Amino acid sequence: MKKIMKNIIVMAGIFASASAFTADYPSKNIRLIVPFGAGGGTDSVGRTIANSTKDILGTNISVMNRTGGAGAVGMSFGAQQRADGYTLTVVTREIASLPQMGLMQHTADDFKLIRMVNLDPAVVLVSKDSKFNSINDLIEAAKTNPGKVKFASTAAPNFYLIALQKDQGIQLNAIPYNGSSEAIPSVLGGHTEVTMVTPGEAISQLKSGQLKALGVMSKDRISYIPDVPTLIEQGVNVTSGTWRGIAAPKNTPDEIITTLGNAFDKAMASDDFKKFMAQGAMTIHNMDMAEFTQFVKDDTKSLSTLIQ
Amino acid sequence: MIDYLLSGLGAAFSLAVFPVLIFGVLGGIILGALPGLTATMGVAILLPFTFGMEATAAMVMLIGVYIGGIYGGSISAILLKTPGTPASAATVLDGYSLTQQGQAARALSISAVASFIGGLVSTIILIAIAPTLAKFALRFNAPEYFALALFGLTIIASISSRNILKGLLAGTIGLLISTVGLDPISSVPRFTFGVMDLYSGINVIPVLIGLFAISEALNQLEKLGVKAQIAEKFSNKLMSLKDLKSILPTSIKSALLGTSIGAVPGAGADISAFVCYNEAKRVSKQPEEFGNGSIKGLAAAESGNNGVTGGSLVPLLTLGVPGDAVAAVLLGALIIQGLTPGPLLFSQNPEIVYGIFSSMLVANIAMLVIGLLGIRFFCQISKVPKLLMIPIIIFLSIVGAYAINNSMFDVGIAIVFGILGFVLGKLEIPSSPILLAIILGPMAETNLRKSLLMFDGSWAFLYERPIALAFIMLAVFSVWSTIRRNKKTT
Repeated sequence: MKKIMKNIIVMAGIFASASAFTADYPSKNIRLIVPFGAGGGTDSVGRTIANSTKDILGTNISVMNRTGGAGAVGMSFGAQQRADGYTLTVVTREIASLPQMGLMQHTADDFKLIRMVNLDPAVVLVSKDSKFNSINDLIEAAKTNPGKVKFASTAAPNFYLIALQKDQGIQLNAIPYNGSSEAIPSVLGGHTEVTMVTPGEAISQLKSGQLKALGVMSKDRISYIPDVPTLIEQGVNVTSGTWRGIAAPKNTPDEIITTLGNAFDKAMASDDFKKFMAQGAMTIHNMDMAEFTQFVKDDTKSLSTLIQ
Repeated sequence: MIDYLLSGLGAAFSLAVFPVLIFGVLGGIILGALPGLTATMGVAILLPFTFGMEATAAMVMLIGVYIGGIYGGSISAILLKTPGTPASAATVLDGYSLTQQGQAARALSISAVASFIGGLVSTIILIAIAPTLAKFALRFNAPEYFALALFGLTIIASISSRNILKGLLAGTIGLLISTVGLDPISSVPRFTFGVMDLYSGINVIPVLIGLFAISEALNQLEKLGVKAQIAEKFSNKLMSLKDLKSILPTSIKSALLGTSIGAVPGAGADISAFVCYNEAKRVSKQPEEFGNGSIKGLAAAESGNNGVTGGSLVPLLTLGVPGDAVAAVLLGALIIQGLTPGPLLFSQNPEIVYGIFSSMLVANIAMLVIGLLGIRFFCQISKVPKLLMIPIIIFLSIVGAYAINNSMFDVGIAIVFGILGFVLGKLEIPSSPILLAIILGPMAETNLRKSLLMFDGSWAFLYERPIALAFIMLAVFSVWSTIRRNKKTT
């Protein structure tokens, strides 16, 4: 009896200390790892969500850029941190693609995927004087001249393009540029004919009419560019895009995940965050942990067919 | 246009904006002077603070940091042989020689004045002909970048001081190092040995910190024990009117070159400084002075790197495309303010465009004033006893190498390159060609391979594209003139 009592007390003690540990969370600064460089799209989403969440949690959230290997270095680093809720990581679509290409040791399974923050479709863009006026013009040209249409690719391999190529059985001449800030001028200067980027990356060229959108690779039209038809509307059943979310190492206690999840929900609903995302023509897409985890699983599967 | 400029100037001096501008410039100078902390980082970190600010004030502060940051790197380059940013690597060549000759104050004043000329001229060009310059910049693509990088690599000859063969050896080491990481076209890992941190290649900033700061600290450390030191000379004399006259043509020419290089997306202040240095040496009647404290060499590098500041805003304001990492953050700042960078900005929000222009003029003046007033203070640094200074430099180097990417791996890189630089120094192999090759190697490789993809494996782009052809000819000419110069001296 004494022994049982003692066990209960010890157990209670452990339980109490554990809950005390999580109850006063967060009691110090939180670090948010951004796997891309300062100034890029992922960085500004990370910094803004950190900014909007810090008052809700009542603690400072400092952003730490850990770049390299197209996001692999930062995300792997984030997965290996102590699972105490004080180190979070911005995860991007690369967490689904890089491990399958053998370019990253950690996968989405090493994280608890707390929330998806944004989901942006790709837009197919050509210069304003291009002879292409619809996605079908482009597909037609690629069919007549396989491997001749010059495509300014923002990354190698480019999953937006591969999705279209696989579906239509076409081949473009993909020239790899270092992100949209190189790919867009290449199309503007007439060196390449077509590119695919997210709406936010090309919003100023679209607004000023320097670039023409042939279609957006989402199920429905995007509010920032309401006149641009989807590929599906034009009879091409392809969607593609990119996403970002926030994750914690997989052993992080559930209480902490709940606290963080609620805080991110509030932050994503805040006017500041909504305004920031709207200005950048980025789409907020809040998914909770269960949804986000399933989404990443599905995306990993669909990417695997593209990678082969 | 003049109206907008005047009202912009009025705004720049208003109580709401002027303090922000001074804060930006001063902050930029301090960040730039510390190795590892760059203008890009400063601008990115300050970005969230601009969310609540009024659009002009926000842009003014960020631009102040940018302009101050490029200049600030030169202070440590001149005084400590420790360039704060890659843009100041070419400044070391002559700036530090002047400090060794006891002329730190003169070098610092020349650097401030030349940077001011560079910044001012490029701002004026930006205001006057931004759209024309943008059209020129758009003609640059893979073949042109490749040719530019190839020409840039020939600069190794002019920064190799005495022995060109040793310079070429250093350049080859640099090129070899630049192949580490994922192959830029097909993502195949090269020389990574499964180390994840090597996948994105070796970062140029820890290399810079190692090759210059740490290796110099090791050098000083070695000399500490030697008694027979020549007494440290030090003169408080600033530059003379004669100096100004002598550097003025070089500075203006470098400013023009820098602006053009800045306007081309993807080529920045580091490349510009080397190109301008090379050009100044090429036309000089006393090329042997370069590397031994030539004030023209110093002025060319300084005006060349600050000349980029105006140029890099050309693609941002006219096309809505960022020309470099700093411009990318500025683009973000504009978008957050609800503005659309690009041609529409001029017609829809001219007050913002001209607010940016006028604040650039004022920021350059502020940089000059702070730079000149600060000389007395900066010079105290070179009076700090070596016994104290060496540990401080090593400490700052390690912190800086860590800060650039929050990575201990980069600290390791800095230390390895520090030792490498020290050993190479003993063998009289110069370090700057290594740095130049690390900056230009990936640019040459990626763009050559991209060109071959674009032209279906044909090499015709080398002579069919006029700008590319021009750079190829410049490269050939540069090699030929070096050979001729060498024959003359030997």
